[in-house]
Amino acid sequence: MNATLAIAGATFGEAVRKRILLVILLVALLIILISPAFEPFAGGRGARTLILGFGFGVVQLAGTFIAIILCTAMIPLEIERRTIYTILSKPVQRYQFVLGKFLGAVGTLGFVYLMMGLVLLIASRLALGEFDPKIIGGLVMFFFQSSLLAAVALFFSTFVSPLVNYFLSGGVFLLGNLLSSFLESIQRNPEVTPLTRIPVQLLTIILPNFASFNVQNPIINPEQVLTDPTAYTVQTIAYGVVYIALLLIASMLIFNQREM
Amino acid sequence: MSDLAIRTVNLTKRYSGLWSKQAVEAVKNLNLEVYRGEIFGFLGPNGAGKTTTIKVLLGIIYPTEGEAYVLGQPAGDPKNHYKISYLPENPYFYDYMTGREILTFYAKLFGIPEPERSKRVNELLDRVGLLRAADQTLRTYSKGMLQRIGLAQCLINDPELLILDEPTAGLDPIAHIDIRDTILELRNQGKTLFISSHQLSDVERVCDRVAILNKGVMVQLGRIEELLAGGHVEVIADKVPDNALEPIRQLGGKVSLHDGRLIVEQPDNGSVDRVIDIVRAAGGHIVSVKPYRRSLEDLFVETIQGGTSA
Repeated sequence: MNATLAIAGATFGEAVRKRILLVILLVALLIILISPAFEPFAGGRGARTLILGFGFGVVQLAGTFIAIILCTAMIPLEIERRTIYTILSKPVQRYQFVLGKFLGAVGTLGFVYLMMGLVLLIASRLALGEFDPKIIGGLVMFFFQSSLLAAVALFFSTFVSPLVNYFLSGGVFLLGNLLSSFLESIQRNPEVTPLTRIPVQLLTIILPNFASFNVQNPIINPEQVLTDPTAYTVQTIAYGVVYIALLLIASMLIFNQREM
Repeated sequence: MSDLAIRTVNLTKRYSGLWSKQAVEAVKNLNLEVYRGEIFGFLGPNGAGKTTTIKVLLGIIYPTEGEAYVLGQPAGDPKNHYKISYLPENPYFYDYMTGREILTFYAKLFGIPEPERSKRVNELLDRVGLLRAADQTLRTYSKGMLQRIGLAQCLINDPELLILDEPTAGLDPIAHIDIRDTILELRNQGKTLFISSHQLSDVERVCDRVAILNKGVMVQLGRIEELLAGGHVEVIADKVPDNALEPIRQLGGKVSLHDGRLIVEQPDNGSVDRVIDIVRAAGGHIVSVKPYRRSLEDLFVETIQGGTSA
């Protein structure tokens, strides 16, 4: 465990010094902070809709970019720079290396979400005059969404180049956000043949369902109510954790066979 | 306990492309034995298969055929890595870390607890002469400093076997001597060193035995003094009368005259004494007696260009 934590610490230390990551974080924080200034342009949707809608949108976008940037080159970069050789020549199992890299990425995402969350809470408190604990729930869900995406990107990084990985991870994220709604709509349509429906159903099962983490709508609009928000949150997070675990196991198995 | 630090049996490593059917054999049937406590030079031109062999020994890649053992255990066993260390060619470390932080990081990989960890890190920084630069980030280090921190990370676990890939490449003369001295000091401590290098003068100076690899095949293996036997001694003499030339020629050496001076190349010291005696008895003057030792560079060039096999 020592080795895993040491690798996680080194990954975190390197990640929080990446300029591109800091720029994304800084821009996100700035946009969240100045979002109350756009209230006059809200056009009757209200300050809450504007600030939280804007805030959650920025948080999700920044989290997505950071997860992809952080993890797509995670393993190839270590091989290219040859840092991996001095690490794997120590008493470090390959699974510890993969786990350490992932924990470092998750730690970085945690730090990023903490920063963005604090600024979003401050902005909403200042502009709306209230502190809504549901915002924290929404942030936690987005954090797990980004962590799942990080696991997807790390999985691909064990066997494809960073450029291919950008497209693969981006594609999986996009499909994972759209497929469940698409499936719902084709299930409602009696004209859709099984030949179309079954592949979509299969893809929906296989690919991670990123859309289930998008819980901003009930938070932004108090009229939209989840029947049992706690159960939904727990189930969704459990789904995310299980999916992450499966991806990590697959990454470890592939990386164990990989020659560098 | 086996007296072998490294052993390979018919080790073969073949690389095949995803789409191409033609495989490249980086290492072919390598049988190598490195004894504990020796400094072993692993030589060969670029692409000879040296780094591939090292990667197999470290478990970074897997053999296609054959076996590899390190300190008596199958190569790549992470438990065995407590006793070995590796310095890659042109090592790169996380350059946002300071010298102290990178050594602490590697110490953590070995699970070395505090306060032992800090003590060992400080000792090593002192040993490689980087105590004053310990809190500078690695991106400010020169190549020589990076090589020294690389050597320090190699010693963090007090290893039995050190595998060094080009440990002195690109270093200035002072850093070069420092690393060479450290290598000799480590041998005196009973450690085994397996060194892959193109710095043949260094290898000749520090190694006990060498192997030369060419196109994946081991073409030379032996003790340095045995491999480099076959030098000659050159005797230059002046005012040697013509009647002394014949008895000198009969000794079997190479005899020539240049600007009135006699130049004799004899293969061994015994015949050199006789040449000197003949010259003196004939009233000639000995100008110089110079031994010419065959260098590792000569052997390397002859082996690679001549295709000599072990």
